[in-house]
Amino acid sequence: MTRGNGWIGTILRVNLTEGTIKKEPLNMQDAKDYVGARGLGTKYYCNEVDPKVDPLSPENKLIFMTGPLTGTAACSAGRYEVVSKAPLTGTIGAANSGGHFGPELKYAGYDGIIFEGKAETPVYLHIDDELVELLPADDLWGQGVHPVTEALEAKHGKVHVATIGRPGERMMLYAGVMNDKNRAAGRGGMGAVMGSKNLKAVVVRGTGGVKVANPEKFMEEATKARTMLRAHPVTGEGLAALGTEILVNIVNEVGGLPLHNGRDGSYWDKADDTSGERLVETHLVKNQGCFGCTIACGRVTKIEGRGDLDGFGEGPEYEAGWSYGAACGVNDIGAIVKANFICNEEGMDPITLGSTVACAMELFEMGAIPESDIGFPLRFGDAEAMVKLTQMCADGEGFGNIIGLGSYRLAEKYGHPELSMSTKKQEMPAYDGRAIQGIGLEYATSNRGGCHVRGYMISPEVLGLPVKLDPQVTEGKGALLKTFQDLTALCDSTGICLFTTFGIGLPEIAGQYREAVGSDETDEEILLKGERIWNLEKRFNIEAGVEKDTLPPRLLREALPSGPAKGKVNELQTMLADYYAARNWTSDGIPTQEKLDELNLTY
Amino acid sequence: MLVKFFATYRQITGCKTCDVPAPGSVLALMEDLSERWPEFRDLILNEDGTDKGDDVIIMVNGRHIEHLDGVATKLTEQDYVAITPLVAGG
Repeated sequence: MTRGNGWIGTILRVNLTEGTIKKEPLNMQDAKDYVGARGLGTKYYCNEVDPKVDPLSPENKLIFMTGPLTGTAACSAGRYEVVSKAPLTGTIGAANSGGHFGPELKYAGYDGIIFEGKAETPVYLHIDDELVELLPADDLWGQGVHPVTEALEAKHGKVHVATIGRPGERMMLYAGVMNDKNRAAGRGGMGAVMGSKNLKAVVVRGTGGVKVANPEKFMEEATKARTMLRAHPVTGEGLAALGTEILVNIVNEVGGLPLHNGRDGSYWDKADDTSGERLVETHLVKNQGCFGCTIACGRVTKIEGRGDLDGFGEGPEYEAGWSYGAACGVNDIGAIVKANFICNEEGMDPITLGSTVACAMELFEMGAIPESDIGFPLRFGDAEAMVKLTQMCADGEGFGNIIGLGSYRLAEKYGHPELSMSTKKQEMPAYDGRAIQGIGLEYATSNRGGCHVRGYMISPEVLGLPVKLDPQVTEGKGALLKTFQDLTALCDSTGICLFTTFGIGLPEIAGQYREAVGSDETDEEILLKGERIWNLEKRFNIEAGVEKDTLPPRLLREALPSGPAKGKVNELQTMLADYYAARNWTSDGIPTQEKLDELNLTY
Repeated sequence: MLVKFFATYRQITGCKTCDVPAPGSVLALMEDLSERWPEFRDLILNEDGTDKGDDVIIMVNGRHIEHLDGVATKLTEQDYVAITPLVAGG
C-alpha cells in the first residue's frame, strides 16, 4: 500500500549475519528534511554508523535508497542511490544510478534497503512484491555482471538486477554496483562494500505503483518539465544524437582535456579520434534511455572486425572516453570502447581505472615502476597494454591487482603520491582544473573526492548554462559552486536524473517535488534541503577524519605548457576563501554552529 | 584561417574543418559561412543577423567570444575558430 505522497512508506532492513529481514516504516521526518535517495540514504547512514567504521567490515552498512520522484511520471525519474562509507576515499560514499532498478524497487513496495552485517556464504536478496528472501549465491560467485544478470533473469523471470562483478567480490576499492547490466552506481567502491558482505546481487520484481499527493498538479509540473527538456537543444537533441562523449572536442578546444595523466597539459591534437562524433561513425548502434527518460543519452555500441576486441555493450560516456583516451594517450577508439566494456561487465569504475593506468604509465616512463613489476612495457599511447591491464584488473591477475588499488595507493607505493590525479584519493574526471578554474574548486571540495557530478561547473564555464562564466578567472566561482552543489544534492535526492538540469532548473525540480510529496514549501526552502544534505555529508567526512580540501600539486604548481590556458595553474586558495564564506563555514572549511543551527542539522 | 566544426554542424558542412580567408570579424565569418552553407544561417546567427544565435558556441583560439569582443572580435589569418552547437555531457 503506498502512502500516496511519492513514498511507499516502507524500507527493508536485511541483517546478513543473522539472515533476518524486517519491514520498517520509512522515517517520514527524515524524508521531509533530507528529500530521499542520496540525502535520505546518507541521513539513515549517519544515524546508524560510526564515521570511523572500517568500510569493508561487517559493522559497516550499505543502503539502497530511492527518492520520492523515483518511479513516478516526473521527468527522467529512474534514479536511486547506493550509500555507504567509501572504501576508496574514506568519505561518505553515495553513488547514483539509473536504468529501471530503482523504480522496480518502489513498485515492489519498498523505498529502500538497509543491509547490515555479513553473510557467512554468498547470498542474494530476492524481492517479488511481498516475498523477500535471502537465497544462496554460491553458483553466481565468481561470475561477471552480465552472466549473473542473465542467470537471475532466467531463474526469476521479468526482474531487474543489481549486482557486483568479480572485483567487487574481491573488495577491489573502486568496484561498483551494476544494475540492468550496464547502469552503474560506479564511484567510490560501493561494490566492494557489497562484496565485503558476501552479497552478490539484489533481484527485484514489483507489480505495484507509486502515488503522488496532488496527481493533477503533479502531471502539470511533470509535463512542463518534459516539454522544456524536449525543446532544449542539449536535452532534446544533442545528448540523444551524440551522447556525452560529444564534449571531447569542445573541452579540448578550451585546453581543458588532461593529457597523459595531466603531465603534458590539456590540449591534444588527436582528441577528435576519440570524440563523440567519431564514436557515432564507428561504434554506435543506437541510443537508449533509462526509465521514463526523454533524453535517452545512453550509447549502445559494438566492436566488429577487431579480433579480441570485438564485443557488444554500452558506452563509453565522456569521462571513460577521456580516462582511457587522452589520459592514457590512446587514440584507438575501439580499444577505449573495449576497456569500457570490461569495466561494465565486471563492475569497475572506468574513471578511476583508466586514470590509474594513466598514472602507472607516467610512473613507468619516469622509471619509478620497473617493467618486471608489470610484466610488459607500459607507455602512453599503448592501447594493447591498456586493454590488457584492464582485463588483468578484472581478473585479479598480477599487476592488475596493483591497478585495483587506485592511483593514489599505486603512486604512493612507488614513491610519488603527488602523481595521483585525485582528491581525497578519488580520481578527478576529464576536465583540467588549471584551464577551468571552477571545476578545480569543485574537485577540491567534493564530499566524495574527485568528481564532476557534485556541482558541474563545466555548465557555466564551458557551455554557458545557465550563464557564461570565464573559465580562466576565479571571481564568482565560490558562490556559484555552492549553489550548484546544493542544487545537485537536491536533484540527486529527488530521484530524477542530474542531466535534466541542462534543460530545467530549480523551479521545475521543486515544482515536481512539491506536488509529489504534498508540500507548500517555497523553491528556496526546498533548495535549503540540498544545502542541509551537503553539510551533513561534510560533517560525516570531518568526523571520519577525511583530509582537507585541496588539489594535487600538479594543478597548483605546474603551469599548463600549451593550449589556450597556457601558463595557468589553479588558483585554489583564492576560490576556497570565497567558497567557505559563501557556505558560512570557517576559513578552515568547517561548518559553523550558526550554519548547522540554521539548517537544523543534527545527528 | 582555420575553422573547425563540431557535433551536428559537421553534417551541414560535410567536413570537420575548412580554410577561409580571414574576414574582418567573427560576425563577418558567420555571414560568410551562412552564404556557403545556407542551412547555417538560422543556427549560428540571430534573427536580424546582428549577433550569434542563442544555441551556438563560438571560440577564437580556444576562448569563447563572450570573453573577447563578442561577434565584433577581430580575426587574422593566424587565428583559428571553432563553432559548435550547444551540447553537454559529463
